[in-house]
Amino acid sequence: MTGNGNQLTLERVPTGIPGLDKILCGGLLSGGVYVIQGVPGTGKTILANQICFSHVAAGGHVAFVTLLAESHTRMLQHLQPMSFYHEEAIPDHLYYVSGFRILESEGLKGIVDLLRREIKGHQAGLLVLDGFATTEESASSPREFKKFVHELQSHAAALECTVLLLTNGSTRAVSSEYTMVDGVIHLEDTLFEQRTERTLRVAKFRGSDFLDGRHPFRITSQGLEVFPRIETAFAVPSVRDVYCPRRQSTGVPTLDAILGGGILAETSNGLYGPTGIGKTTLGLQYVAQSEAAEPGAFFGFFESPERLRARAQTLGIGLAALERRGAVEVIWYPQGEHILDELGHRMIEAVRRRGVKRLFVDGYGALVESATNSGRMTRFVSTLSNELRALKATVIMSMESRNVFGTATELPDKGPSSLLEGLILMRYTELDGRIRRLVSVTKIRDSAFDPGLREFEITPRGIEIGPPIHGMEAVLSGFAREPKAAIPDSRAQGKHQED
Amino acid sequence: MRTVLVVDDEFGTVEVLVAALEDAGYRVLTAANGRRALERLEENKPDLVVSDFMMPLMDGAALVRAIRSNPQFRDIPVIMMSAAPEAALRKRLDGYEAFLRKPFRVPALLELIASLLNPPRSSSPR
Repeated sequence: MTGNGNQLTLERVPTGIPGLDKILCGGLLSGGVYVIQGVPGTGKTILANQICFSHVAAGGHVAFVTLLAESHTRMLQHLQPMSFYHEEAIPDHLYYVSGFRILESEGLKGIVDLLRREIKGHQAGLLVLDGFATTEESASSPREFKKFVHELQSHAAALECTVLLLTNGSTRAVSSEYTMVDGVIHLEDTLFEQRTERTLRVAKFRGSDFLDGRHPFRITSQGLEVFPRIETAFAVPSVRDVYCPRRQSTGVPTLDAILGGGILAETSNGLYGPTGIGKTTLGLQYVAQSEAAEPGAFFGFFESPERLRARAQTLGIGLAALERRGAVEVIWYPQGEHILDELGHRMIEAVRRRGVKRLFVDGYGALVESATNSGRMTRFVSTLSNELRALKATVIMSMESRNVFGTATELPDKGPSSLLEGLILMRYTELDGRIRRLVSVTKIRDSAFDPGLREFEITPRGIEIGPPIHGMEAVLSGFAREPKAAIPDSRAQGKHQED
Repeated sequence: MRTVLVVDDEFGTVEVLVAALEDAGYRVLTAANGRRALERLEENKPDLVVSDFMMPLMDGAALVRAIRSNPQFRDIPVIMMSAAPEAALRKRLDGYEAFLRKPFRVPALLELIASLLNPPRSSSPR
């Protein structure tokens, strides 16, 4: 505790897991008793051990007491491949004991004594009790169990030792241990059709704010990596958004002219069009404008960095050279079962780490596919865009249209699209027995732009845009034609003007 | 019949060792921690002690110190076992005859016990 006159402020005990510490607004509170609840296999033991080793790395001491849980030998064998595991921490800094036989012979009173002795004997600032449900089963009455939890809390507070109680136990929100302890963290493993997603939820955290709701996490050889839900983690951008309107080249001079001098910097933009139209090509031209002093990043899901480099080469873009001199970073997440929030955090981290000013995301569809609840995409894109803008990144995100030809020009998601400041539309059309590519700007918020349709080609120099198309109609239907002779109907003409 | 005292706080480990040692023809005593082990020693002096290191109330290091400081027990050979590496225990632990890192194979323990209880004639006394 830190003293300020008579006022005592509880110190934070970081878990050492950045995402979890963010959710907990800095970590657990010293001397607090916290339940970590989850069915078998949800990661409780790994989480607790990861916190233990982090506490040791920060110079602390830990006692880990088990009751009818996995044997210590087996547990340590399972932990050995984890990067946080450091053998030299045991036994001087991290001490594992079993309390089960004491529980059997001396009951809950014996366990309280044991825990108190282990805290004092090892000068532990952190204590883990794995198998907490066994204590409830051993209690002769609910009253005895409450008394046990109360005594444990008193000792933890007096000895300034933070206690983690691991349990498979019930999720009854009114169960006595939940009402008495200082905090409850649920670990869950939810099935979404064929895939599962692990999530963590802080159900209670006395004396502190926390980020509520479910936050996805992953267990890897690094231990738990927690990704606080983007909408809560960046509800307010991490830095103050100071906006100074300026333009940024797209890498295609004619498109810059259409846009009124380039794309508006520090905005989020959609590049919408069917497969093969040239979205990735434009993305490559855009990030190729980056320099080490104003770096760019290509965050893609489809083409591997090797293929992207080869493709860039055909456009006269030396992507590998740009990467070598630190102007561009290519980040590739092969399409698979990703966690939406992980992708959001990776994007923000990539921008923050290098001060990225140009970010091309290829593409939005892969983000949607990673979402276990697509209903949150509008909120997700909105919050992510706010953060990236505040970090001074300009974002162009490719968005694939469902139809290659046809009259429908429906955007993939109306919500997210409406949040974007700019929208560039690419389309195919058929004319004279030839497929032609068209580009138009349909939206630039608070700025004038040329709304004309233009044909473009992909040449060895990249995208080359022609003059505005005149004398054609139904171009956006995908089947352009010469206009029919004017209909001498003044009413029809008048109606058209009103539209 | 030779007697072995098995000291470990994890009942699963104790159960496995008791079964293996009894099958090998030993009489087995058990204790869940160092303090209980000392009580057992007073009741029945074993021929050998197999002890875990990390235990509540009294750890393996304190148990070995207590055994070596008591003239009645100081000659009892002690095999120390732990999930922690021997190097990590050395600065706190002395006076044990052999070390086994958990997990180990039971035959390795039986071989070690046999060699300590029936040392070759040529070996010098400890």
